[in-house]
Amino acid sequence: MQTTELLDTELLDTVQVDGEQVGAGRVARTDGTGRVRQVGDPRSAEGAPAAHGPVWAADWRPLAGPALLDRLRVTGRARPAADPDLVARLLAHLEHGLPVDGPVATGGRADATGRTPVVTAERLTRALACPAHAAADPGPADRSLPLACGALVDVLFRQLVTTGTIGDPLAEGLDALALDERRTPLVEWVDGLAPHERAELEAEVTRQAEGLRSRWPRLDPSWLPRTHDCLRVPLAGGAVELVTRVDLAVGRPATSASTVALVDVRSGARRPVHAADRGFQALLETVRSGVPPFVVATYYARTGELDVDPVTPELLVAAARRCRAGLEVLTADGRAPTAVGAPWCATCATSTVDLVAGAPTADPDLTSGPAAEPRLVELGSRPSSSAAPVDDVGPLPLLEEVAA
Amino acid sequence: MSADVDVVPGSVCDRLVGGLTTTAGDLTGPPVEVTLSSLRRSTTDPDSLARPDGPFAWKPAFVRRSLGLAAVRACADGRYRGPAEAVGPVAAEAVDEWRRTGWRTFHWEPWFAGLGVGARAAVLAGAVTWATPVWASADWAALGDRAVVGGADDLWTCPGVPTVRLKGRCEARVGPALVSVSCGAPGAHWAEELGYLGLVAGLSDPDHRLPARVVGLWPESGDRRTAPVDEALLVAAVDRVVAAVDLVACGRRAAAHAPAA
Repeated sequence: MQTTELLDTELLDTVQVDGEQVGAGRVARTDGTGRVRQVGDPRSAEGAPAAHGPVWAADWRPLAGPALLDRLRVTGRARPAADPDLVARLLAHLEHGLPVDGPVATGGRADATGRTPVVTAERLTRALACPAHAAADPGPADRSLPLACGALVDVLFRQLVTTGTIGDPLAEGLDALALDERRTPLVEWVDGLAPHERAELEAEVTRQAEGLRSRWPRLDPSWLPRTHDCLRVPLAGGAVELVTRVDLAVGRPATSASTVALVDVRSGARRPVHAADRGFQALLETVRSGVPPFVVATYYARTGELDVDPVTPELLVAAARRCRAGLEVLTADGRAPTAVGAPWCATCATSTVDLVAGAPTADPDLTSGPAAEPRLVELGSRPSSSAAPVDDVGPLPLLEEVAA
Repeated sequence: MSADVDVVPGSVCDRLVGGLTTTAGDLTGPPVEVTLSSLRRSTTDPDSLARPDGPFAWKPAFVRRSLGLAAVRACADGRYRGPAEAVGPVAAEAVDEWRRTGWRTFHWEPWFAGLGVGARAAVLAGAVTWATPVWASADWAALGDRAVVGGADDLWTCPGVPTVRLKGRCEARVGPALVSVSCGAPGAHWAEELGYLGLVAGLSDPDHRLPARVVGLWPESGDRRTAPVDEALLVAAVDRVVAAVDLVACGRRAAAHAPAA
């Protein structure tokens, strides 16, 4: 079941939880995979209350401070443990059908040079789009106000996490973007905006920056917060490389227990594809480190909404299936892919396919065993409140390895 | 599999000097500095080695390693709880020191000091992200004196071929091991590349003592690999060095003989 359905259907279990955990007056819903989320958008795209759709409590307000952190770290589920068998099966599923003799053509970059083709969440989404949405997709824009706003909010969030302050949002954001030569065209484009367009951009960036500043607490340094964390998973000996970048990662990496939380920050409206993107990030972190993150989340700077997915084997299996379907499309090279169809189109609001149960089945091994058993969320049975993003350090492999 | 060696074998030295003399003995122009980066590019982007380097300009990527290592050291000393807390004060201390004495610990101090608030934050954030997996990879405080985080580069100039210099830069020395941290994922030649660091460390040591092994960390892909330093690995590294220098030398010769535009 996709996020839009979670948001819109009245058939889901609905639970009211206290404001401390989910937000004052907020309605939370759960689905069968254990996801719990804040629902609804406080405004339509135009800023007016939506005429229909998500249910909003009148006094809803975005989570802020400790409540926001609690929402991230208290998922209502036990944190996943390292499961080498599941990781091996996920990896085998992803690599199924890929050649083992070097880079493959993916219709993407750098194939002619022999470099490893890179597959990102965005490329997967495009590859899996149904014909209607693929045709309607104009492709990545080079310059637009929303793109500029997104880039600016991205660096401002990074600044906030790193320094704890944001002064003049537009000036400081442009300052940071100007350091990145890949952003030079965008910065020049912003510099050339007409005064009213620039004022519009500045107003929105300032509004979102103020939201970030007022809602995000300072993250304890011992939780090891880092931004723009790159996750990379080479497949089939370098035939393809799965890559994503996480806006915020918290928790000690590469331990035997799950201590990592991943947060994606978005400046635009909530879209169904964001759930798939979270799954992709969870999948890559799991395969990369051998331990799943305990939570993946999307924070919407425009509204202050926070979508949180506790990472479960079901979520990872669904992400692996989707990823493999996308890889089949990208590497099809004229052959008809076998696991592709409209069900994987993340933009299809009409999709009725459950990401776990109804997805095209390609590898029964992935769903066998305890990993695929459905689990119900238990809001009442939370982990210990002392479960900070970073737990005890545990064994440190490098120490053992080099100091022997 | 050859046996581990304690010092750089004479045969390895002879192979390296002989190879470099053949490929670059008559080379003129600016010195050729072989680094781990150029060694990698010799297989992934060989044409880039033949091109002259562009003018140097500071970028955040050039700061994150040195600042990140300083942050890890400061954390290991118990001054801070993590890189996110350390990078700001460490950078500020360096800038203050430069302003007070003119001494540049990291070289980037004037550039960093001239940046705006947002740009400085971006630089600090890059250093935090770089340093965090390094800090998390070992209990540096517990290692105490056995671990040296950062430190000077290993340098070796080829006898008889003064235009060629080998530079090895590892991120830490822990007991008999070197630790190298790289972006991306290990390539097909990862072992030789780690061996290169061992080779240069041995060549630059007054007694030609070699590290026992080189540990490579690739945080982005979560890989950690160890290359025990033995003669076979050193020979493979030597051959990579000679091949890389040959690429540069051929490029220069071609440029020298190219008709003027």
